[in-house]
Amino acid sequence: MELAKISNLWPLLLFLLCMMGASMWARKSASKDASFVNNYYIGGRDLGGFVLAMTTVATYSSVSTFVGGPGVAWSIGYGWLYMAIVQIVVIFLVLGVFGKKIALVSRKIDAVTIIDIIRSRYQSDTLANLSAFVIVLFFCSTMVAQFVGGAKLFEAVTGLSYSTGLTLFGVIVVFYTAIGGFKGVAVTDALCALAMFVGLGILFSSILDKAGGYEAIMNHLATNHPDMLEPLSRGKMPVSLYISQWMLVGVCTLSLPQSVVRCISSKDSQSIKRAMIVGTFVIGLMTLMATWIGVISKGVLTGPLSQYGTADNITPKTIISCMSPFWAGVTILGPVGATISTIDSLLLSASSSLIKDIYMHKCAKEGKALTDATIKKFSMGCTFILGALVFFISLNPPSLIWQINMFAFGGLETAFFWVLILGLFWHKANKTGAMWAMAGGVAIYCITLAMKIKFMNVHQILFGIVFSGILFYIGNKMGKDQDESVLKIFFPEKYED
Amino acid sequence: MKRSDKFRQANKEAKATVLATVAVIVFWTLAGFGLSGSDMKILSTPIWVWMGCVGSWIFACIVAVYLANNVCVDMSFDDEDEEE
Repeated sequence: MELAKISNLWPLLLFLLCMMGASMWARKSASKDASFVNNYYIGGRDLGGFVLAMTTVATYSSVSTFVGGPGVAWSIGYGWLYMAIVQIVVIFLVLGVFGKKIALVSRKIDAVTIIDIIRSRYQSDTLANLSAFVIVLFFCSTMVAQFVGGAKLFEAVTGLSYSTGLTLFGVIVVFYTAIGGFKGVAVTDALCALAMFVGLGILFSSILDKAGGYEAIMNHLATNHPDMLEPLSRGKMPVSLYISQWMLVGVCTLSLPQSVVRCISSKDSQSIKRAMIVGTFVIGLMTLMATWIGVISKGVLTGPLSQYGTADNITPKTIISCMSPFWAGVTILGPVGATISTIDSLLLSASSSLIKDIYMHKCAKEGKALTDATIKKFSMGCTFILGALVFFISLNPPSLIWQINMFAFGGLETAFFWVLILGLFWHKANKTGAMWAMAGGVAIYCITLAMKIKFMNVHQILFGIVFSGILFYIGNKMGKDQDESVLKIFFPEKYED
Repeated sequence: MKRSDKFRQANKEAKATVLATVAVIVFWTLAGFGLSGSDMKILSTPIWVWMGCVGSWIFACIVAVYLANNVCVDMSFDDEDEEE
C-alpha cells in the first residue's frame, strides 16, 4: 500500500531532483568577478527580466495561493476572486517605485541586503539590528507556516504521513538554498512558478471535466448559491474586507523586504522593465486560476463545509475527488512549488540578515578581516542551520509559532513601509523618525491585532501604517538631518546642480 | 545621463507607478462594483466577474506595458563619470 502510494510520487521526486540540479548549475555559473557575498546573497546582480519576474511572483505566491484562498472561494464565491485579484498591482508597484532607486543606491554603496541600505541611509546600527530582528523572527514563523501548509496538503493528497512529505521537500529546499544561494533560489523559483501553472492547469481542467463543464457549475451556483455570484456575497464580503485586502495584500506589500531585495539583484534597467510586464501578467493569471478553481470546485464538492472539515481541506479533497492518483501526483507539484519557492527566499534573506547585517558588520567594526573562504563557510552554514531549525520546529510546531505568524505579514509591512519609502524619497527623513516608525508602528500593529481593535472593521494594518507614518513625522521633528555625505549618495539631485 | 538626472528620472517613475496603481484601483472599482447591478452574463457568469477580475488583470497588464515602454527610461546603474 505504502509502496503504491510512493510510486505515484515520481513526478514530485523528479521535480525535486531538478531543483537540486538547477541549484548546482546556478552555483557553477556564479560570476568570478563578484565577491562570495555578492554572489551568494544577490546572485552577483545578474538577474534578467524573466527570472526576476518569476522569482518575485513565486516568492510572493505561497502555499495559501493553493490552499487557503481557494478554500474560502469555495464558500464565498466570486467575491473572493474579486478580492484576490487586487494582487495584480504588487509586481509593477515594487519594481516601479523601488526598482531603479535601489539598484542605483545599492551599487554605489555595495549593498547586498535591504538592511545595508537602511543602515547606510539612517546611519544607525540600532535601527539595522531592529530590522534584522523583525526580519528573522517573522521570516522564521512564516517559513514554519509554509512548511506545515505544504506538508498537510501533501498528507491529505498522497495519503503518506505528514513527516514523510515534510522531510522529502524540507530537506531538499534547505539543501539547495544553502548550496545554491540567491541564483539557485531565483532559478528554482522560476521552475516552481512553471510547476504551479502545471498544477493549476490540471486541476482546473479536471474539475470542469468532473462537474460536467463550466456552465453546468455556474447554473448550479445560480440555483443553489446565488450569493456566490455577487461581489458582497450577501454580507459575507463586506466593503471593509475589500479595503483591508487592498492594503494588506495589495499596496502595502510594496515594503515586504523579501520583494524589495529583488530590486538589488536586477541586472539592468531593461530587466526591471521586462519583469514589470511579465510579473504582472503572471501573478494575475496565477491568482485568477487558483481562486477560480476554488469557486468552481463548488460544482464538485457540493455538500456543506462541515462535511469536509475546514476550508483548508477543500483543495486536497477536490484533488482527490477529481483525478487519479497519478494525476494527483503531478498536480501536487503546484502547491509544493509554491511552498518551497517562498521558503527558499525567506531562508536566504534571514540568513543574510544574520551573517551580512549582524556578524560581518560586527567584524568590520572591530577591524577583524574576514577571508572569502570564512564568509563562505559561515554563510552556507548559517543558511543550513537556520533551515534545519525551521524544519525541526515544523515537525511539531508549538502554538507560539502560530501566535507570531499571525503578526508576520502585516508586521513586516508596517516595519518597513515608511522607513523605505521616506528613506529613499524624502531627504529630510532621519534616524529618529525611522526608529519611531518601525518600533512604534509594529508595536501598535501587534497590540491592536492582539486586542482585536478595529476602525470601521478594517484590518489592523490600517493602524500600523497610519500610526507608523505619524510617529515617523513626530520622531523626525525631534531628530536632526542625516549627514550631507549620506544624503549626497541617496539624493544627488538635491546637490549636484 | 548624469547621476542626478538618473535620480530625477527614478523619482518620476516612482510617481508614475503610484498613479498607475490608483488607476488600477479606480478601474477595478468601476468594473466590478460598478457593473454588479447588471444582469448581463457571459457563459452564465455575471459581467462584473469578467470585467472586475479578468478585465482588471488585463488593464493592469496594459498599465505595466505603458509604464515600461512610455515612462521608464533605460539607464546604466553604474556611475558614468566620463559623461559628467
